[in-house]
Order: sequence, then C-alpha cells, then structure tokens
Amino acid sequence: MELLTRTEKWDITYRHALGEVASWFYTQIRDHKKIYGKKDFKSNRVLVPPRAFSDETLEPTKDWVEVGPEGVIECFTIVYQAFKNLPDPPYAFGYVMLKGADTAIGGYFKGIDLTDGAKAAKQLAIGTPVITRFAEKRVGDALDFWFEVKE
Amino acid sequence: MKIPKVGIIGIGQSHFKAKRQDANYPELVREAVKLAMEDAKIDFDEIEAIVYSLAPDALLGIGNAERLGVDAVSAKNKRFMRINTGGSTGISSLAAAHSHIAAGACDVVLVAGADKVGECGDSQTILNKIWDPTYERALPLGTINMLAMSAVRYMHKYGMTEEDMAQIVVKNRAHSALNPHAHLRELTSVDEVMKSRMISWPIKLFDACPQSSGGCSVILASEKYIKDRGLDAVWITGVGHSTESYYLGDRMGKHFTADHADAHALSEACYKSYKMAGVVDPLKEIDVAELYSPFSNTEFHAIEAAGLAKLGQSPKMLSEGYFKIGGPNPVNPSGGVLCTNAIAVTAMVRVAEVALQVWGRAGAHQVKGAKKGIASGNGGDHQFFGAMVVES
Amino acid sequence: MSNHIQVGVIGSAQVSPANLNQASLEEILNTLTHAALKNAGMTIDDIDGIVVAACDQLDGRAISIMAASGSVGGVGRDILSTPSGSEHAFILGALRVKSGMYKTQLVLSWSPLEVDSISEIQKLSNDPYYHRALPQDDLSTYALQAGVLESEVSGVRESVIKFTQQSREKGRVAYPNISATPVQEVQIRDSKMLRWPITEGMVCEPRFGAVAMVLSNQDWIKDKQIKNPAWIHGMGWATETTYLGDRNLSDMGSLKAAAHQAYHESGISDPKSAFDVVEVSDPTGYQALLSLDGLGLCDSKDWRDAVHSDRFSSKGSLPVNLSGGATSFNPVFCTGLLRLAEAANQVRGCAGAHQKSGVRKSLGHGSSGFAMQYNSVVVFANLPKENQL
Repeated sequence: MELLTRTEKWDITYRHALGEVASWFYTQIRDHKKIYGKKDFKSNRVLVPPRAFSDETLEPTKDWVEVGPEGVIECFTIVYQAFKNLPDPPYAFGYVMLKGADTAIGGYFKGIDLTDGAKAAKQLAIGTPVITRFAEKRVGDALDFWFEVKE
Repeated sequence: MKIPKVGIIGIGQSHFKAKRQDANYPELVREAVKLAMEDAKIDFDEIEAIVYSLAPDALLGIGNAERLGVDAVSAKNKRFMRINTGGSTGISSLAAAHSHIAAGACDVVLVAGADKVGECGDSQTILNKIWDPTYERALPLGTINMLAMSAVRYMHKYGMTEEDMAQIVVKNRAHSALNPHAHLRELTSVDEVMKSRMISWPIKLFDACPQSSGGCSVILASEKYIKDRGLDAVWITGVGHSTESYYLGDRMGKHFTADHADAHALSEACYKSYKMAGVVDPLKEIDVAELYSPFSNTEFHAIEAAGLAKLGQSPKMLSEGYFKIGGPNPVNPSGGVLCTNAIAVTAMVRVAEVALQVWGRAGAHQVKGAKKGIASGNGGDHQFFGAMVVES
Repeated sequence: MSNHIQVGVIGSAQVSPANLNQASLEEILNTLTHAALKNAGMTIDDIDGIVVAACDQLDGRAISIMAASGSVGGVGRDILSTPSGSEHAFILGALRVKSGMYKTQLVLSWSPLEVDSISEIQKLSNDPYYHRALPQDDLSTYALQAGVLESEVSGVRESVIKFTQQSREKGRVAYPNISATPVQEVQIRDSKMLRWPITEGMVCEPRFGAVAMVLSNQDWIKDKQIKNPAWIHGMGWATETTYLGDRNLSDMGSLKAAAHQAYHESGISDPKSAFDVVEVSDPTGYQALLSLDGLGLCDSKDWRDAVHSDRFSSKGSLPVNLSGGATSFNPVFCTGLLRLAEAANQVRGCAGAHQKSGVRKSLGHGSSGFAMQYNSVVVFANLPKENQL
C-alpha cells in the first residue's frame, strides 16, 4: 500500500504594535544604553521589562525607574541542541534581576566557555553578579543588550 | 450549593507512537472516539455535546483544526466547541464538559482530540512562538529551556541533583513498560539518563518527553443518566483551575507570589479541586496521582503542589520508595507525560489514566486498591493549571 | 434536567482604537477589561472565572490566551479559551455560572489587525489533504454560499443590496465614527466584484475590535441590586459538518438545531413574534437573510417584501441589526460575541445611539468558520424566567 504525504509551510508576517511603554523602553536602550522598569505600587514591584499595568493587580504602573546595568542571575540554562530557526548551539541565556528591579528580564549570557556544561553551570549559578553590555549598533530590540559575568 | 457529580462512562486512547503515517489527523481523533464509544457502550445519538481538545493549531499545521474534527466526533448539528489552554487543554476540555453537565444543559458529553506532534517538523520552533512578541520573542525560549530554568532554581532552592531527576525517569519508564498505550516504554537506568545527550542544561534527552502522535477521548455523563441506565462509571468530584503570571521573570526576583522553581498555581488548582471533593489530607486520601510533567525535574514540584510532599522534599521521598507503583502515593503509574506527550490530549490522558486506576481497569500498571486519585494538566509557559479529583 | 440557577449579563464593553500603534494588544485588552468591570459595577476581585476567545494565527501568538491572560485578570484565576469561536466563550461562560461552580464570569474576545494577510491565515483552515491548494478563505466560502442562494431564491441579490444599504444606515446611527461605507444602493451594487456574487460594497473592511461581557448568577444580581440585567432565557449552539462539499449551504441544520435548543429552553413557540430586536450574523447580507430564515424569523419567500417594507428597521415589526452588524463594523474574529453583546445591551437599555425603546426580549446569533460552520443562538430577556409574563 503506497502511503503519500503533502508538504506545507507556514509563511506569515506580523507587525505587532509595541505600545507606548515598550516603545519608550526600547528607545532608551537604542539611544541612551539605559534600561528602565516601571513600578506597580499595589504589589510594590518595579517591573522589568516594563508594562503599562501589573498583571497581578491589574493596576496601571506609575513611575519609570532606571535599573542596572549591574544585576544578578536569577536563572539560566545552556542549550546544546539545535532547533530550527533558533540559534546554533551552544548558547546560554536566562533571567537577570537588574539593580533596582524586582522582576527579572531575559537575555543571553555571553563570554563563558560552554563546552563543559557542569562547569559553565557553576559559573552561571543563581546569584552570580553580571553586567549588562550593549551592542554598538542598536535598533531598539531585546537583542541590543546581553549579560556578562562580572570579573 | 452542592455541585452535581459528573461521571466518566467511557475512555479511549491510542497506542501512542512518534509518527502515524497510516492515519491523518481526523482519523486519529476518530480512532480514540470509537474506542471510547465502544467502552461506554452507547450510540452516537446519545451524545448531546462535544468539547474538542486541541492545543496550538501550528503543531498540526492546520488553522482551527477542530473544524476538521467535527466529523471525526460525529458532531453534525450538535453542540460543539473547542478548548485551547496549551498543554493543559485536555484537562480544561474535561472541565468545560463537566460544566455542560453540571449546568444541566446536557446529560452526555463527548470530549476528544488528537495530536501529531511528531509530524510538525520541530515543536520547539513553534513553541517559541508562544512568547510575546514585545519582549521575549527575540529570546530562544522554548518549553524545554524554560523548564530547564525551573530545574536550575529548584536545584538552587532545595539541592536537587541531576541524579534525582534521573530517578524520576527510571521510575516512570518502569511504569510505562507496563502500559501498552505509552510511547516510550524501555526501562532505563540513572547511568543511561546521565549519559544521554544534553539538550538544555540540566535537561538531557532522557529527562525530556517525546513528541507523540495519537488521540484520546473521554465520555462524561450526568448522575441521572448513569443511574437510569445502570451504567458503570467513576466520578469527577473535584475540578479546579488557576494561572501564574505569564512573565517568567516575575516568578523570581523580589516580592514574587510564585517562584519559577515551584508550581504555585498548580497547588491552587489542586486545592480547589480537593476542596470541592472534600479531600482534606491528600497524602492519606489520594491513592494515585497522574501529574502532568513533561520533564523529570517538574515532577518534583508537581508532587509538592498536589500536597503529596512538602516543598523541596519529594526528591528525598522518591529515594525512600515513595511515588512508585507498590510504594506509598504512586505518581504517574502510566509513565506520565515524560513517556507520552501528544500535546493536544496529554492532560486528558492524565484524567483518563486516573479514571482507569480508580475503576480497577488499569491492567498491568494498576495501583492496587486505588479508589481516589488526582490528575493535573499544565499549559502555556508553565502558566495554566487544571486539576481534577476522580473517584470510584 | 436543569437547575434553578439563572444567568444574566450585567456588564459589557467594546473597543476599536483608531490608532493601532498607540497601544499593544495586551494594553488594549486591559483597558477593555477595566471598562467592562466598571460597566458591571465590579472589580476584578469579584470575577471568579474568565473565558476568552481568539485566533492564534490572527494574533501571531501560538497560544493566544498566554500573553493576554494577565491583561484580563487571569493571574491567580481560572481562565479558559475557546478558539473555535468568540460566541463560544459566551456559551461556556454562561454554562460555568449555571453549573453553580462560579458566581460570575468575564468573557472576552479580540480580533487584531497585525497579520499581513487575513485571507492567507484563513486559508490555513483548509485541510492539507484535499483543499489547501484552493483559494478558499472565509470570503470565498461566503461567496459560495451566496451563489447557492442566487440559484435558489429569485431576486435575492436585490434583497441583499437593499438589506446592506439599510444596515449601513443603521451603522451610521450606531457607530458614526467607524461605520463602513458605501451607503448608497447603487454603489453597493456596482462596486468591484470581489468573489462572485459578492461585491466590495457588500462587505466591510476588517477593523481591530475587542468585546467583553460580564455574566453573573441571580444571587449576585439580587445582592448588588442590579437593575437591568439581560437574563439568558435560552442558549443553543451547534456545528455544520466539515467539508463544504458535504453541506447544504443554503439550509443550515446547525442553525436550526441551535435555534431549536434556544427556543425550547426559553419557551418560545413563535419566534416571528417573540423578539423586540435581533442581532444576527451578517458577514454579508446573504448570510444575514439566510440566518433570519434559519432562525424562523423571516422565510426566504418573504425577504423581498421584508426589505422593501422596512420590516427590519427600528420602527419595523422585526428590527434586525440596529448596530449595523458586521456589514458596518467588522472585527473579524469577534463579530459573534459582538452580536450577543449588542442583543444583550438592547435588553439592558444601554445599546447607545441605536437603542430601541422598551426592549423586553432580544435574540443574538453569532457564527464562525467557513460559510457559518458554527452557529450559536442566545435569547435574552429583561426579566428572569419565572416572572416572565
């Protein structure tokens, strides 16, 4: 019995509105190499990345708060497997609580030898101090910055 | 006011495999439906509503694929809706069906679905698209590395080791070896797990669920319908759902409600369902648990969320003999999600397996004397949680 | 079979922002949630469950409920999603309140315009086995359905053109800032043919929209002394079979089944005289007329007469789509829920500029899928069931 298949590919483009809050956040990164969070007073948390409202309280956030560039690692992983349309392994990324923030923001960890997973994991252990680095050419995007372990 | 008991009168599930070249998607759904209808011994005319279980369309490559499933579930001119809460879809679908009956709108509801994760090319590529395009889409997030990060935090918080994780795999494979419906059924060892290829530290190949294809169907009925016809049934006595914040980074840092290491919203869901079922002491009253856990490390925080261990204590209890068939509080006697993951129905299979257990029909992987069990489902970025208590 | 719990709509809100770059989808949904809660006189703490409906492919998020959940109060709460149709979110929300497990529900749906081609993503609903290669998006299926009506009902085209014109005039009253054009019959008739027999003038360009409703049980309504709920007297929902080629496009069994369920539950034996207003699904005038026939409100042989005698106007004997329908404002995915909201608002007396006075009973009909595959019907009334005269 001959079994046939058909191949289909999805090719869809979206233009997502970032809104005022995220737009301002990215322009500050692009133009000033500064990262900002926004404070929700009800939960008493500076949310980074910033949002117009807190999803825990549904209240609008108020003040902009500059955060970082130092921070500590809250969690990480090191990816060794290749996945289609995702970067070539190995790479490390995770979440960093920047100084002044109450939540952690995602980003790549660069500058670590990832060959030995267990060894790299120790270097990226939770609580490790990191510094935010910015790309020379920034476009106003999450990939304009990354983190490196503080010497 | 007292919520009516809702019974399970029929169950059907595929023998899950990586690929099913012999059947297209609606045919897989039909396969499960047929099994459930034969199990319940009722005609299609008796079915008054269908709740269709289907997670991301993109995994199947068909937009609103439930439309194709309409014929597979014989829904023509009948009540029909589809549920999607990511990985918890299967249990959410059962909860929605439960509401149909508890509301008195229907007496008999069919819940069904299927998945062909093995055919989509790369599920992590698609699952990367669940993150919001504003901040996190640029990061290489996927469900594997997202839960690898949970493992990192759990290790930091409670001292879990990679070997502890491997013990979960060993336990679940010993269980799935007894379950003819499971996908991965080979026994393994801590050594083999530790030597398997690293995917996303610390999750290795053997710590991760497979991409499975197959279907599942469960038929629910009202107490009146069951009593009037003298049908054999088991009962859903507790239902609960709760949700974390979508932002992973909010589950860490300072002043957080939920730690990404734990499964706070899962415990809310479990306790809601315990409350409804009148379960006061899960460790004593729950005979069997099927807890959604696609990676070895997540089974620990699921066990704790279900009240079967204190936070951080489950790895130690596992090494003392808990959580396996034959020991106290068996968890995932089917092998769990770690051994079979057809995403659209996986959480339904959890309920189906608990139902089979308390029904005394679980065959070789039967937990002796099981009368009351808890099933759970997880969806989104460890965000949506559903729980159900099923008893005989 | 049924219990004594009754469910009422006690709040609703809708948004259709003019500037699409001003706010992100999540921010818009948060604004909408606040508006609906305010309309219901509640805070989010009063909500014990949420049901949303959105289309992953339209949103560009592989699980549309995820990022949206927090915006609408999902954190720490029970939230489900019914991507099959916006109107299904309402159905499930109502069932949940009626089950006794929830005293309130927030129900929402949204339809953004961030995708480059709505037509392309609609085509992805075609099965990859036989029909994916065809140019079959929603509009094509409405055209196929319209074509069947053309062959079966003589003069239907003129009735459709007139109905469309009347809808546009109603839309101008209801939503003057956003209502679509053209309004003139000649322009509707002579505009560019899109998919025979549907012209550009017959359809409305997609627009960003989001709609939310708040439901509660009678205890809540009594406790909070809510004066004007829209009580749900009956609900019905059903689906057509899958392949268009298997269906009778001009005779929808699912619509009749849904109507039958709703009428039976609400004790309606003569639908033609039962309602003060109705809101029916109208991706084009063809589907609106077909819906009126399937709902037992206006048989096909009476369409011509009805449109020419202004029967469907606010002063007529059967006011239809006083909101202007999707013919005037088309937030693609959530049009179904919007029809239900409009029908409920008429009973609540808060429909706005297009409010008809003294509405005691209304019908809302929403549909989704190719050529209205899914149909849902809800009967709303200004009094709970026992007290209905």
